Amino acid sequence: MKDFNKLLKHYRLSLSEYELIKKSLGRDLKPIEWPLFSALWSEHCSYKSTRVHLKNLYTKNKCVLQGPGENAGVIDIGMGEKVAFKMESHNHPSFIEPTQGAATGVGGILRDIFTMGARPMASMNYLCFGASNNNLTPKLLTNVVKGIGGYGNCVGVPTVNGQTTFHESYNNNILVNAFSLGLYQKGEEIFYGKASGAGNLIVYAGAATGRDGVHGAAMASESFDEDSEKKKPNVQIGDPFFEKLLIEACLEVMHKNLVVGLQDMGAAGLTSSTFEMASRAGTGLKIDLKKIPLREPDITPEEILLSESQERMVLIVEPKNINEVIKVFKKWDLECSEIGEITNGHLVELYWGDELLTEISHKPLVDEAPKYNRAFKKPEPSPVEEINIKLKNDVKTEVLKLLSHHHLTTREWIYTQYDQQVGAKTMYACDDYVAQLVLPQTERVLGMALGCRPLMMQWDVSCGAKDSIILPVLQMASRGVKALAVTDCLNFGNPEKEKIMGQFVEALESMNEACRQFDTPVISGNVSLYNETLGENIIPTPATAVVGIKEKVNTFPKPYVEKEGLEIYLVGLKDEKLWQGEWNYLNGMKPKGEGFVNLKDCVSLQKCFLQLSEFTSASQVIGRLGLLRALARLTEKDHKNLNEKDLGVGLEINFNEEGRGEETSLFCERFYSALWCVEPRYSEKLEKIVLEHKNLKFKKIGISKGSTLKFNEHFEINLKDLNNALKRGLSEITLE
Amino acid sequence: MKRPVGVLRFLGTNCDADILQAYEWLGCEAKYIWWADHFKIEDYCGFILPGGFSYGDYLRCGALAAHAPAMSDVRVAAEKGYPVLGICNGFQILCEAALLPGALTKNLSRQFQDQWVEVKSNLTGICKWDGKKNFKYKLPIAHSMGRFIAPGDVLKSLEDKNQIWLTYTKNPNGAMLDIAGICNVTGNVAALMPHPERAMKDWMGSSDGAHILGKLNS
Repeated sequence: MKDFNKLLKHYRLSLSEYELIKKSLGRDLKPIEWPLFSALWSEHCSYKSTRVHLKNLYTKNKCVLQGPGENAGVIDIGMGEKVAFKMESHNHPSFIEPTQGAATGVGGILRDIFTMGARPMASMNYLCFGASNNNLTPKLLTNVVKGIGGYGNCVGVPTVNGQTTFHESYNNNILVNAFSLGLYQKGEEIFYGKASGAGNLIVYAGAATGRDGVHGAAMASESFDEDSEKKKPNVQIGDPFFEKLLIEACLEVMHKNLVVGLQDMGAAGLTSSTFEMASRAGTGLKIDLKKIPLREPDITPEEILLSESQERMVLIVEPKNINEVIKVFKKWDLECSEIGEITNGHLVELYWGDELLTEISHKPLVDEAPKYNRAFKKPEPSPVEEINIKLKNDVKTEVLKLLSHHHLTTREWIYTQYDQQVGAKTMYACDDYVAQLVLPQTERVLGMALGCRPLMMQWDVSCGAKDSIILPVLQMASRGVKALAVTDCLNFGNPEKEKIMGQFVEALESMNEACRQFDTPVISGNVSLYNETLGENIIPTPATAVVGIKEKVNTFPKPYVEKEGLEIYLVGLKDEKLWQGEWNYLNGMKPKGEGFVNLKDCVSLQKCFLQLSEFTSASQVIGRLGLLRALARLTEKDHKNLNEKDLGVGLEINFNEEGRGEETSLFCERFYSALWCVEPRYSEKLEKIVLEHKNLKFKKIGISKGSTLKFNEHFEINLKDLNNALKRGLSEITLE
Repeated sequence: MKRPVGVLRFLGTNCDADILQAYEWLGCEAKYIWWADHFKIEDYCGFILPGGFSYGDYLRCGALAAHAPAMSDVRVAAEKGYPVLGICNGFQILCEAALLPGALTKNLSRQFQDQWVEVKSNLTGICKWDGKKNFKYKLPIAHSMGRFIAPGDVLKSLEDKNQIWLTYTKNPNGAMLDIAGICNVTGNVAALMPHPERAMKDWMGSSDGAHILGKLNS
């Protein structure tokens, strides 16, 4: 009995799951079947705690060509072009081995994209680290960045945007979420992970199989304890050079129409890729594990099935094309070998040479994986509170102190380690909140932005989850980019706890409501649960990435002011709510706010912003640390402007809000408003457009002028000091 | 009819398509040359060795690519006076192939650096790839092994023979003599660390790169 419990623990299956398997098979499990069920029934592969809720997601509209369920989602962006994109977590491995964990996170998501037949064109990352005083933070930050840069730079896919948060909630469980997007040129087809056509060959391509990553998927489905360090051997090792070759070889066989379907060996390696492909196609498979190329000769069949060695693919090839496929891979210096064939029916036969290890239907493993409707208790909405900020210090000192805090300073130290321009399509990258890449064939701009503010999630799960869509959508609109679709990475704690499950359900419903309102379906994504270490759960963090399009190549509105004499407007909701978030946090207090806004009003705001973007010079949506930081960012100069004498353009602001002190107006976040800078000849046009929306308001608050940021008679700071504060950087919390 | 530009493709090269795109914008045909193939030199008007991570930067940056079969033809082309340009990893390959002197080593920051730089072309330079003499080009760099070094006598010879093509106005990586680009004694083989193909249009932040790549079209 003790041995049996050990077996269950080793394969991370519960007793009730074991009973379920036995019932479904009508017999006991054979030794080789344990690892199969362990992998495919893991939370990571089966989504067993979340499937009942995920099915309610808004996933379809007329532009969606492929929704969730495939390697990545695909949307039609018009003019014959399509994009595939997805975001995925690599939290657990990155905590244990930050460089490799982050690197293979990037590698894995890239494979999900090119597997669909799209050439990877851009990557982004969403990162959450612990507090700066946590002694793990410098090492994790430094090495995660090294891992992302090292991999992305080498494969030649630009890293164009990112979001980095520091919060003690992530001290022992960091988040590393990687996003990638690929482009289909006119006429290029979507490929699927389907093992169709009896008699077709199963081909293994790419790197040989080693012992790395064995049990990785099951590991990612568990909470951490003191023994996390021991899990290092479960982390995969990446080779971006190999990945680059794999991208080229796979795209070439796809463009030459030599493959029927393909899938990368990601979580749970060969097991999940083959069983899922058979399940999607409704076919059977016959595989000889002895034919798998191995790195070490003594790897067992079980290890082969579970290895998460990187840069490996499974291809389904018609027999007549096999020689041509081998030729293409050979050209790219890659091995590829036939390991089996597709059969009729639904049985997967696993051989070890002549020995039949098992013959098992993919149905109990994939379709019949457990689905739990776990008990949940939704979080209470946060109370509506009065807000009021009053500084004790001198305002000028406070402003410079806050702007230079590592929570708010620019992430230059991070993103200058990423190649942001390879591909020669980059118009704006990490220095702005929306990345913009030019599609040269159709002369349009593809925009992408990340969402989810952990502090807001901590304050109110429902509002925070809506904000994870609203804010990036508005930011995109402020650059003239219309949001089209969303991918998400839902990072939560232990779903077996009612409170955590309640956070998940609430966040998903709220986010979904926002997606519906903006008509931005969720086309792909990933759920990462058990982000829990020693009983401490992370702040619920539904990270999002939003993708959209701007119909012409135009660098306006810019994120900064480039000339004097522009008029500065604050445009927002009439029913605007203020929130004391970042300021409170930095002063050791819990966030509080005046409540939240109506989604329909936010849709009007998006429409209005898109209209304004057509003739305005610069804009900044009010984000963290409110008006102050948005104003400061407007005064920054273009990083591509290398003239050292040029310091940016100053602003003279006169702004008083009824019933609010100047400091409250300055430091509070706003739901939702943006600063717009226009040539005086367009002022009237701006005002007219805003007034056409009955739920919106504007206020002219100043002019661009001189070389200081002047706010009422309250403070005046010269741009040099302001810029130094913003650019103070992260060097004090990195290893270098 | 004008001959196309030959763009070398090694395993791991990743700026190859960007060069093709740049020449499309310049209205000039460009064609890939596969690393393993020998080619007919006369079929091309010049050659570009694009940036990237040929052979994953394993062994040493550019070391393996320098010995690819196609490189022996590039060597002959260089000797015959054909224009040959190396960009970033292409610079490293040309140094490893000894078609250019010196070597590229780890940036002083010890980090990968992605940033915009200003490089000034030498007024008395003999580089045939230079679009504008004494001009300040605005171009992006993206490398971790971009610090040019060479022994003192080689540096002196580069200076004396006007082989220093481009120098940084603000040195980002610790390169000796602020060198961003050099050429051989005959001026036809040249290389630079910044990426001209990423500065072809105003929306990219600069179109100065066109003055360099456009030399083959003029």
